[in-house]
Amino acid sequence: MFGAQTKHGEMSSHIWESQKKKPIWKGNSNVLRRNVMVRFSDLYSFTVEGSLEDANVFNEVRERVKEQGRVWWALEASKGAGWYLQPKISSMSEGIAVSSLSLTVLTNTIVLKRLIRKGIPPQLRPKVWLSVSGAAKKRSTVPDGYYEDLTKAVQGKVTAATRQIDHDLPRTFPSHPWLDTPDGHAALRRVLVGYSFRDSHVGYCQGLNYVAAVLLLVMKTEEDAFWMLAVLLENVLVNDCYTDNLSGCHVEQRVFRDLLMKKLPRIAAHLEHLEFDVSLVATEWFLCLFAKSLPSETTMRVWDVLFNEGAKVLFRVALAIFKMREDEILAAQHIGDVISILHNTTHHAFDPDALLK
Amino acid sequence: MMKYADEEPTEDYLFKIVLIGDSAVGKSNLLARYARNEFYPNSKSTIGVEFQTQTMEIDGKEIKAQIWDTAGQERFRAVTSAYYRGAVGALVVYDISRRQTFENITRWLDELHAYSDMSVVTVLVGNKADLKDAREVSTEEGTALAEAQNLCFVETSALDSTNVQLAFQTLVKEIYNVLSRKVFFYQEQRPDGKLSNGKTVILQEKDVDSAGAPTRKY
Repeated sequence: MFGAQTKHGEMSSHIWESQKKKPIWKGNSNVLRRNVMVRFSDLYSFTVEGSLEDANVFNEVRERVKEQGRVWWALEASKGAGWYLQPKISSMSEGIAVSSLSLTVLTNTIVLKRLIRKGIPPQLRPKVWLSVSGAAKKRSTVPDGYYEDLTKAVQGKVTAATRQIDHDLPRTFPSHPWLDTPDGHAALRRVLVGYSFRDSHVGYCQGLNYVAAVLLLVMKTEEDAFWMLAVLLENVLVNDCYTDNLSGCHVEQRVFRDLLMKKLPRIAAHLEHLEFDVSLVATEWFLCLFAKSLPSETTMRVWDVLFNEGAKVLFRVALAIFKMREDEILAAQHIGDVISILHNTTHHAFDPDALLK
Repeated sequence: MMKYADEEPTEDYLFKIVLIGDSAVGKSNLLARYARNEFYPNSKSTIGVEFQTQTMEIDGKEIKAQIWDTAGQERFRAVTSAYYRGAVGALVVYDISRRQTFENITRWLDELHAYSDMSVVTVLVGNKADLKDAREVSTEEGTALAEAQNLCFVETSALDSTNVQLAFQTLVKEIYNVLSRKVFFYQEQRPDGKLSNGKTVILQEKDVDSAGAPTRKY
């Protein structure tokens, strides 16, 4: 649908060109690997600027993604196509007596959880996400054509939400080869405007533009992106994250503050000393679900777990980001330095496994 | 502050300045133009906090202006108390081609005063002055509001650079002046060891400490 999916060829050639100059840099190659900046296009066609070291990590990750793909295909061959679409036990608290479930379902649930933590292959993401998040089930409760009817019914209507959406369309991942085109803007607009009418308490909240844009890139059809957005806001995330006063987002910040104190007490104490409040960085993390902060494949890996296991993964990732640079944060003397360190960490987090281990 | 007075004169100042105003009035581009002389017709809409640090010299002292930028949509106002903390200056921005953004200025000023010290130095900025044909707010209206609220006022264009340097420099200089007067006042009061108005001085001391805290040069 978008014609701008992956450009592996182009990407690898960028990196390859940078690497083939390597011999010239021998001697202080480590310094250069960190300091020489290269530009490349990632798995979802975002232009990324990073060091040679970042590019190398990125290439390794790409290999791992392929490897994971082979694991999924092999399982598909042995367990049957779409085995992962079968019912799963999302939590024991659902009151399902485990004994009443067939052993296969139980095994599949466990296998799937482990697999998803290692990453869903990009080609399978739409199917798996729809299934494990409950979006497919949600859609099945309304008549076919719900999305089409909704977008038609709201055409031409102007509200505070649509005005804000129109301000944000060209400011959502500008320069992305598909999102930043008239087609991309139009698709994103329909999804966001449609949702603003589905839930008028939310309407439109800045940040959702980034979330919906990434959903469009992954899901490939507007309708699927719309249902993923719906299930996210209505079932997966804390209630009222995006409503009028962002009260759900406040709750998340409070929980995260407590977690930080418990899990990383030295950092928490130092941040308190600097009068650094986690909301300075976590507002963007939790509202954009890291889509604006992390490289795209890393964001996708977080979302893989988010849709299968729920919103607690957001805290785990946020903690991991702080933990990765503990020494530097502890040495920081100003709030500004902490923000810079964290921005820098997220922008270069090309290795999803380092965040999700 | 005073405990730094005997140290070498290499100390400098760090001023925290916040950019506030409705969504899409051009806050991020004002900052990009000032700090990096860049302008993006479309830059990513800001969600969390971004900042840039710019250095300038006044009276032979190095001043670092740390300028903070954040989201403008109304619902974000509730999550930003940390954003205002320690700010000594503010640029309150509206878009001269959208009257609503001008009408919301008083609400932004209320917000600013609710979360920060009343003495935060404020400049009212009418941005997008290049959009002459689409102007909805006259320069006179801007001036009148600034006078009524006792603010500095300037019309800018981040697109063609008009007055962008001026806006930031005026703000930084004014903060510096206010701070120098306070430090001077503090020094005057200090020798007898007894402060006639302890409360005021403590407030001033805190001002200097948290906001204009001198930082060591590297």
